Amino acid sequence: MLSGTTALETLAPDAPEIRSFDVNAVPLAGVEMLHWSFEVAAAGLTELYPPALHPTLPPVAMFVAWAVPDSPWGAFRLAQVRLSCRSGARPRGFLVGAVIDNAAAGGALADHWGLRPGVGEVTVERYYDAARVEVAVEGETVLAVRADDPDPLRPNDIQFFATMHAARTPAGLRLVQFDPTIEVTRAERYTPVLEAFDGGAWGQPRLEPNYPVVAYGAHADITLPRLRFATRPDVSAFEGAETLA
Amino acid sequence: MKFGIFYELSVPRPFGGGIEKTVYDNALEQIRVADEVGFDTVWAVEHHFLEEYSHCSAPELFLTAAAMCTSRIRVGHGAVVCVPEMNHPIRVAERAAVLDILSNGRLEFGTARSSTWTELAGFEADPDTTKKTWDEFVRTIPKMWTEERFSHDGVCFSMPERAVLPKPVQDPHPPMWVTVTSPGTELDAAERGLGSLGVATAGFEEQERRLTEYRRRIQHCEPAGGMVNDQVATLNFLYCDPDIDEAARIGVPMLGAFSVSNAHLLFTREAYPSRAYGLLANLAPGRRGRPSSEDNPGARAGIPEGMAIGDPHHLVRVMKEWESLGVDQVNFLLNAMEMIPQEKVLASLRLFASEVMPQFRREAA
Repeated sequence: MLSGTTALETLAPDAPEIRSFDVNAVPLAGVEMLHWSFEVAAAGLTELYPPALHPTLPPVAMFVAWAVPDSPWGAFRLAQVRLSCRSGARPRGFLVGAVIDNAAAGGALADHWGLRPGVGEVTVERYYDAARVEVAVEGETVLAVRADDPDPLRPNDIQFFATMHAARTPAGLRLVQFDPTIEVTRAERYTPVLEAFDGGAWGQPRLEPNYPVVAYGAHADITLPRLRFATRPDVSAFEGAETLA
Repeated sequence: MKFGIFYELSVPRPFGGGIEKTVYDNALEQIRVADEVGFDTVWAVEHHFLEEYSHCSAPELFLTAAAMCTSRIRVGHGAVVCVPEMNHPIRVAERAAVLDILSNGRLEFGTARSSTWTELAGFEADPDTTKKTWDEFVRTIPKMWTEERFSHDGVCFSMPERAVLPKPVQDPHPPMWVTVTSPGTELDAAERGLGSLGVATAGFEEQERRLTEYRRRIQHCEPAGGMVNDQVATLNFLYCDPDIDEAARIGVPMLGAFSVSNAHLLFTREAYPSRAYGLLANLAPGRRGRPSSEDNPGARAGIPEGMAIGDPHHLVRVMKEWESLGVDQVNFLLNAMEMIPQEKVLASLRLFASEVMPQFRREAA
């Protein structure tokens, strides 16, 4: 079984410290979600993951945007780049990087969920027949993706997976499992188009999207849960899974 | 009750050093032994690009080799992928007929539509249409086999009138099956009069539920071909040893190796939201056995419920339980990732054939 070969400390040197696991679940109503998937070059793919995670074949980069109209920290738009993987045998997305347009919301995500996005501009545009997301950091576009020709889906046609991301816990640097509850009320599938992507700006210059998979959009109510599980980054989840206090 | 052996042809990394040839050679030796000792069928999957999990991309060649080195055991496509980007239906009909001739009428013809993005995207096939194309394949291929000349104006292919040659040996044609991975596909099989070829492991309770509905529906089927095949086969793992604890020590890790080898697969449902792929396949072995008790030595040894791992006495009991549910055939994976040495695989086959199979054959006689 293929496993990652790069230390998590190398992949995520700026992993935040979770200040408190003692947080109530936070509901986010009426979120516009957009998701793009592209296969990425498989050469050297194990170097993209820590040893705890196993790549899918083919590996897939996922670009995810949330437009949240209201939260305890105000409205925010969050963009994430994830890499498809398995933790044990379970499907997961390994977080490569994230950008948010609301520093207070970003701070809360870091403090309570160990997900620290950089601050930048996240533009989410939805049209009758298309959708588009553009992410810019310090004025430079680091991601631009378009979704064309919507086709309705049933809400349960979309399967969501937990994200694994690096965070410092009292037990040390861990991959924590971020598993929001997502209740979809409307969903569409699109044709994905990649306009621009700078992997280096997201922390992984070797990420090279090379084949479109799918794009989809959803209108959903999301609940940010209390973190429950983590895994040691240096061994498989079969050995390293832990329950968080 | 029939017993078969089932091949994914998993290959552990690293792929160099002749390991793929070793896997194929070992499988063919196992098939020769299975033929000698009385197993009924050898099945081979069709998979593409599934590193480690399955290097069985040309099953028609593998099964031809199997047929050529055996005299009695039936050879089964488990199954041909009925997606036109992978296999043109005319070529499927032609190849299957040739295999039926070369095997002297020993072909079982399984059909499938692929469940992974890895495979479908590799051939640039549209996941939304695979159910439709599978349906068109299973309705037209029997006609190609049985009609002197065949023409078709369809959705995934059309053709002017031609004689599709040769014709199979079996009359009217080889028995047809559908591989059942996701719950519900067994109903597609029943409605078309096709056998249900289970390729995902399921516990007794789940299997019983599916079987009951299959049996009910196939009574009123409209056969897709020239005959009804109302058999239900289920997939299992086999490791038989005189000592149950030794059987568990060697056999149970095979289940883990199988699960790990399929963990890299990117299922269509995960990658590409589609109404055509509603439920995730469960290819992993079943849950642990019921709580330990004096009369459940398999559970005490850590053997999952229904798995054919144990001593002959235990395996007779497990097979009786499958038989009581109405399963007609149990097909066994004999190894995974070559983790069990070949001589032990062969000894397991022989022991099962000598100590377990007669318990079922006598009753049948």
